Amino acid sequence: MRGDAIIDAERLTKRYGEIVAVDSVSFEVPEGEIFGLLGPNGAGKTTTIGILSCLVTPTAGSARICGIDVTKDSLGVRSKIGVVPQEIALYPTLSARDNLVFWGRMYGVPDHALKQRIEEILETVELSDRADSRIDTFSGGMKRRVNIAAGLLHRPSVLFLDEPTVGIDPQTRRSILELVVELNDHGLTVLYTTHYLEEAEFLCNRIGIMDEGKMLAIGTKEELTATIGATGVIAVSADGMDESIVGWLRSLDAVADAALVESELTINVIAGPNLLPALVEKLTSSGAAVHSVDVTVPNLESVFLHLTGKSLRDRDGSPAEGEPVGKKT
Amino acid sequence: MKALRIALKDLRIRLRDRNTLILMLLLPVGLTAVIGFAFGGDAGISAVEFLLVSPEEDGFPAGDFLTGAAANFLSQIEIFDVEVATREEATRAVSEGEKSAAILVPEGLREAILEGTPAEVVVLRDPASDIKAGIVQSVVERFVTYASAGGIVGRAIFETLEEERPLTDGERWQLTGWMLRWMYDRYREPAIGIQAADTEVEDVNVHAYFAPSFAVLFLLFTMLGSAKSIHEERESGTYDRLMTAPVSRATFIGGKLTGSYLLAAVQMLILILLGSIVFGIRWGSHPGAVVVMALVTAAGASSLAVLIASIARTGSQVDNVGTAVILVMSLLGGSMWPVEQAPAAFQNIARFTFNYWAHSGFKKLVFLDAGLAGIAQEIAIVGAMSIVFFALSVRLLSRR
Ligand SMILES: Nc1ncnc2c1ncn2[C@@H]1O[C@H](COP(=O)(O)OP(=O)(O)OP(=O)(O)O)[C@@H](O)[C@H]1O
Ligand SMILES: [Mg+2]
Repeated sequence: MRGDAIIDAERLTKRYGEIVAVDSVSFEVPEGEIFGLLGPNGAGKTTTIGILSCLVTPTAGSARICGIDVTKDSLGVRSKIGVVPQEIALYPTLSARDNLVFWGRMYGVPDHALKQRIEEILETVELSDRADSRIDTFSGGMKRRVNIAAGLLHRPSVLFLDEPTVGIDPQTRRSILELVVELNDHGLTVLYTTHYLEEAEFLCNRIGIMDEGKMLAIGTKEELTATIGATGVIAVSADGMDESIVGWLRSLDAVADAALVESELTINVIAGPNLLPALVEKLTSSGAAVHSVDVTVPNLESVFLHLTGKSLRDRDGSPAEGEPVGKKT
Repeated sequence: MKALRIALKDLRIRLRDRNTLILMLLLPVGLTAVIGFAFGGDAGISAVEFLLVSPEEDGFPAGDFLTGAAANFLSQIEIFDVEVATREEATRAVSEGEKSAAILVPEGLREAILEGTPAEVVVLRDPASDIKAGIVQSVVERFVTYASAGGIVGRAIFETLEEERPLTDGERWQLTGWMLRWMYDRYREPAIGIQAADTEVEDVNVHAYFAPSFAVLFLLFTMLGSAKSIHEERESGTYDRLMTAPVSRATFIGGKLTGSYLLAAVQMLILILLGSIVFGIRWGSHPGAVVVMALVTAAGASSLAVLIASIARTGSQVDNVGTAVILVMSLLGGSMWPVEQAPAAFQNIARFTFNYWAHSGFKKLVFLDAGLAGIAQEIAIVGAMSIVFFALSVRLLSRR
């Protein structure tokens, strides 16, 4: 499938002195796919997008967008891609429309098409009525939507979205996710980075899990969860737990992985039900105050735990447990 | 094309910003008003009164003629009130503050002009009358420049004629007289321009002295803001975003430089216009020369500010380093006080500053009614500074 891939990254590596920001990362994204890069802070997601969008020169490895090499023909690549940077990159004292006019021109949208495209895109991001207000009068979510709009004006073949939902309310998050789905329905290939596993599960056809610069696994959600060899997940919320409980759990045959983050204990289990009584007894006898115990099927969180021994869910701003992130049409 | 879009975007951002407008227009006009009134009362200062002292070369017609020609030439400029006096009278009148300045025409000026021997025209200045005396001095400098040029031409003519046969004394006097008249006609040209434009204003407009110097000072500050935006675009991520669009780094740099330059040109032209409207400044009778001087000054200031930005590592460094550079240069270069009154050594230092030459150009336009030829030196120097600053900045910026 090498020939059809819109994004083709081969052993990409980026070093900053001692830090290896991206470490021999390879993946392919076929046309029409939403591919997710899931990983915690510092995993190397932004750097990977930076290499693919010609902002960062890789230390080693190569990448092609629509068959064009990013290091050999950067202007060629740049005319194919749309980039929505992680930070809002707009001119705060210009209106939304003026920003879009400027970015449209920078992306080479012909003058005769520009006006109509801007109207359409404003419609899509639901900001037509605020088009002539200055960006610095917008809420965070509105800014994010204009930030996305600016990356779409030139109708790119592939869109890079770098954590576009950080720090915004659930409603705006939902509308952004729906927008991505809608764009994808019209054939846009999307590379989407996030550290919210719910978003990755909801949105992405395939997901690459990254940590500390490495690509740990790639696959659909089902493929990924199948690899961990666990049949269930137990999530315990309790005060007064310590690492000794993790050590004990890992010594058990029924446990694939276990991790403790603050007062949350996550266990990937091979034979779930048998473990529960022993676990509860162990917890109470060690003096922990248990608030809740959940038994679920394996998800991306379990996969991340399996791959890294760490939990993804230890970041600020993560959506609340069980909160719906959107509805896939 | 994209560079121009970037430039126009910058221009739009700056012109919409109230702080920029205050810095660009309100502060220079306001300070010119305040300082102008402090120096010269409400409308300006009265006529420049000064004395011309003739060398005592009895019975020597060329000397008298020269003094007469100079007096005539000087009184063509309406603000000048010239009298011929003896050396003692002149020294007394100037030291007692009766007259602003006295020009001592040295003995041997005729030989100096005709034969190229050294001679010095001395300007006695009333220390309390800096601006007026400064004006007189500038005029004398111009007179001497023309006279030296005339002398060189004259000597060349004599030498050529004497290759044929030696000239008689009579022929020499005749030729000398003819040549001096020719020179005198050359001086008169700009003076005639003043007369045409300037029938009712009899006073020196002191605002005309300060308006250009504050314009240059605040031009530099405005440009610092523009140059700083190179860093701001990097810090806010818009630069990275541009670099993911099909926009080359050269286009970006070109756009930023063009944007700065356009703003500088707009600011200078508006300040010149405001100078006329608010303070009634007459910028001489050569509008083309004024526009050229304004545009060259704009180029110098914008490229200097971009150079500062290309050396600085962050936006706030641009502010700190840039403000220091501008203040030092403006103090040295006379953007804040009449540098004419400083000792010669200081004035030599002043000549290394952008401010000095920019201001000098405008002074010549206003007070000497110079045309393009009269400010050629200023245009050349400020232009050369712009080119050097520009080349250095482009080099530094494209390495980033
Ligand atoms: N310009 C740089 N200079 C030095 N180190 C860098 C640079 N850019 C990134 N890094 C380092 O590379 C690593 C990966 O950073 P990157 O921004 O790609 O992570 P990320 O997955 O996008 O994280 P986040 O979720 O916080 O955005 C980090 O350790 C970071 O400190
Ligand atoms: Mg990132």
